[in-house]
Amino acid sequence: MALAPSVVEELRRIVGRESVIDSANDLRIFERDASIEGALPDAVVLASTTAHVAAVIKVAAKHHIPVVPRGAGTGLSGGAVTIRGGIALQVTRMRRVEIDPVAQTALVEPGVVNQELSLVAASHGLFYAPDPSSQKACTIGGNAAENSGGPHCLYYGVTTNHVLGMEVVLADGSIHWVGGDEPDRIGLDLCGVLVGSEGTLCAITKIKVRLLRIPPSVATLLAAFPTIESASHAVSAVIARGIVPAALEMMDHVTVGAVEAHYHAGYPTDAGAVLLVEVDGIAESTQELMGAIRKVLEENEGYALREAQTSAERDLLWAGRKGAIGALGRIKPNYYLHDGVVPRSRLPQILSAVGEIGEHYKLPVANVFHAGDGNLHPNILFDLRDRDVLPQVEGAGEEMLRAVVELGGALSGEHGIGLEKNAFMPWVYSPDDLDAMQRVKNAFDEDGILNPGKIFPDPLRKHVHLAGRTGLAVEAKWW
Amino acid sequence: MVTAPVVEKPSTAEELARRLREAAESGSAVVPVGGGKAAGMGGPPLRCDVELQTTGLDRVLEHSQADMVVSVEAGITLEAIQAELARAGQFLPLDPFNSPGHTIGGLLATGWTGPLRQRFGSARDFLIGIRVALPDGRLASAGGRVVKNVSGYDLMKLHLGGMGSLGVIVAASFKVFPRPLHDVTVEKLNDSIDEAWDAAARALELPLLPAALELFSDGRVLARFFGSTDAVNRMVSELGWIQADLSAWGDHSRSAPESWARIAVPRSELRRVISGLPPGAHWWASPGIGIAHWSFDGGSEDVRGARAAAEAAHGSLVLMAARPDVTATLGAWGTPPATLELMTRIKRAFDPAGILNPGRFVV
Repeated sequence: MALAPSVVEELRRIVGRESVIDSANDLRIFERDASIEGALPDAVVLASTTAHVAAVIKVAAKHHIPVVPRGAGTGLSGGAVTIRGGIALQVTRMRRVEIDPVAQTALVEPGVVNQELSLVAASHGLFYAPDPSSQKACTIGGNAAENSGGPHCLYYGVTTNHVLGMEVVLADGSIHWVGGDEPDRIGLDLCGVLVGSEGTLCAITKIKVRLLRIPPSVATLLAAFPTIESASHAVSAVIARGIVPAALEMMDHVTVGAVEAHYHAGYPTDAGAVLLVEVDGIAESTQELMGAIRKVLEENEGYALREAQTSAERDLLWAGRKGAIGALGRIKPNYYLHDGVVPRSRLPQILSAVGEIGEHYKLPVANVFHAGDGNLHPNILFDLRDRDVLPQVEGAGEEMLRAVVELGGALSGEHGIGLEKNAFMPWVYSPDDLDAMQRVKNAFDEDGILNPGKIFPDPLRKHVHLAGRTGLAVEAKWW
Repeated sequence: MVTAPVVEKPSTAEELARRLREAAESGSAVVPVGGGKAAGMGGPPLRCDVELQTTGLDRVLEHSQADMVVSVEAGITLEAIQAELARAGQFLPLDPFNSPGHTIGGLLATGWTGPLRQRFGSARDFLIGIRVALPDGRLASAGGRVVKNVSGYDLMKLHLGGMGSLGVIVAASFKVFPRPLHDVTVEKLNDSIDEAWDAAARALELPLLPAALELFSDGRVLARFFGSTDAVNRMVSELGWIQADLSAWGDHSRSAPESWARIAVPRSELRRVISGLPPGAHWWASPGIGIAHWSFDGGSEDVRGARAAAEAAHGSLVLMAARPDVTATLGAWGTPPATLELMTRIKRAFDPAGILNPGRFVV
């Protein structure tokens, strides 16, 4: 439903005529993020300042129009999709960065690209640890809204562990600072609950993040395994030995084939799976740790171990990993990238379940994921031009998630719930658990104008195919 | 006026939730109590009709060695958890002061930390799941039992350090850590406090950061290094401090002055703020974190000045335990946060009748 001309006019008065988009053609650009489902916004507002964001939300609140904050649109769970129409509040023009090298912090606006922050910080010998694979494009604002992860979160922790404070705009247009530089602030940890709230509680307009010193020594090792099972056992064995590497990534045979064809990084294409292991720190410890890791990998059928000898070689290995999803385009033009987490020791079971589900649906599946965390990323590959393929793809994905939950896992490790998984929330949370979350939502956004239709099961969009089939309602069985 | 409360000690989460609901329905004020180690923290309870003890909930629910995850009930002591984890060569990096005897629920509700925060962060960084009894008798969980999880709101954050004002924590899950390959403690005795601060600053510039670093008002600096043998040995030799016994940390964790305060400021401000404490003050500080604990002499005048200095540095001074008249005069928490109204909205959403720990916290 188009916005009333008077509302569009109000928005134009805030940000300027050129910064409100409402022509049908231009709106199409903002229909999607990197997930499957899309929906057109009624208007896109390009905000440049906190004052813009606050004023736009005030207008939206006055007219009960949904507002969906949007960064680079690289999200994988539909967080930035305007499923109820309304205003897409684009913050990519807000991209100032201030580094405080003494305090080792950065104050950034939400449109700052993740990798840009680390590039700027590098001149001070610092870096920003969370490194989603989309880091060349994704924004810190989006990262904070989704509590994003990345390969190096195994050792360093995810976004919430690095956000010290935020300036946020609430559903009534009021501006607040939550969190801050000092430890143990007085009162409830509002910053902690707003990080990862997927744009449903606030719009984020500034983020204060912790920076870390770039470690003086890094060692990166690639190891091949005959099967995905043997690689999974090796992962558990490394961790069980008391070693927490900076990153511990797995790619299966399908992925390695695509990556090698694209990047020529020297990935062993005969392998059933490869592990990419990185340790960092001071030279003495990286050497000792890498020595211990090599031993564990070899004891667990690892072969063709290859350590990057130069930083160029290391970059190439990582380019293969971080570009893996794109490389899969060599196999099929479309993919559905899933995200679930299992207890690490369940990796062999979940990977074999994922394989069986793929076979059942006759869809190729490529696995490339954060093995050290048990954070799975099955990619279901398909061609959207194939008739009726999408329900098959969704069905397969849903079954995979179901298997994750049945192994004691979580619906998402780093992509968020958004539109993609809100119908599955009752698989892991009881009605009482969801009620507690709903109370927080109501406390912040009583009228529900901020990113409606996300996180909570949406009565307007019911589509759990499996519900009832396996006798669900797992009611927090992990207690 | 506080009269002797009814003491309840439920032995299951469900029973605890029921007791809480019954109390709420009759309008009784409930004070949750774990090990009682932080009883002096916070404002004096306005009312206490029911003392709800969690120590009947003291089981390890599950310890998955391979996944390095432990789930426990809230009333278990930290020592009991560490004993369980130690059997697998693992540990939970919590080493609060006024030990032993803390329950895990109490530690989460108060947010107390110790020196190992330097390396591992606070429970905020390794708490992965929580279960809480709410005043309406519901049991609500958040998080899970995996180490990475962004499914829904992170409600763990609201209960951590929330002083039991929104609900009573009944269980929690943690990511745990392998015992370090090498664990070495060194110390330096300094002639002046300035020399001690400089020594601590040097330790914080090492390429391998200390796992813990504490500075004492008598000029002593104590550092602990975790890691591979070669790496730790290099750091120790670069510093040139003298080897100390590991038991120094156990002794330190027993610190529990009669009257004490926690000063928390941006770490770059800590030295300046602590230097403003009265001459001869007895304190210890974690320079890499931005926290110091100060054992003050009973009265309130000095504390008022120190709090003003901490707040001027965008920090806080919280009373950990103090004479009732001092707490009454100064307030336990200091200037309320600017976002108090938002916090109050959340409080009302969970505890509309205000029966949980009334008067104790800022909401």
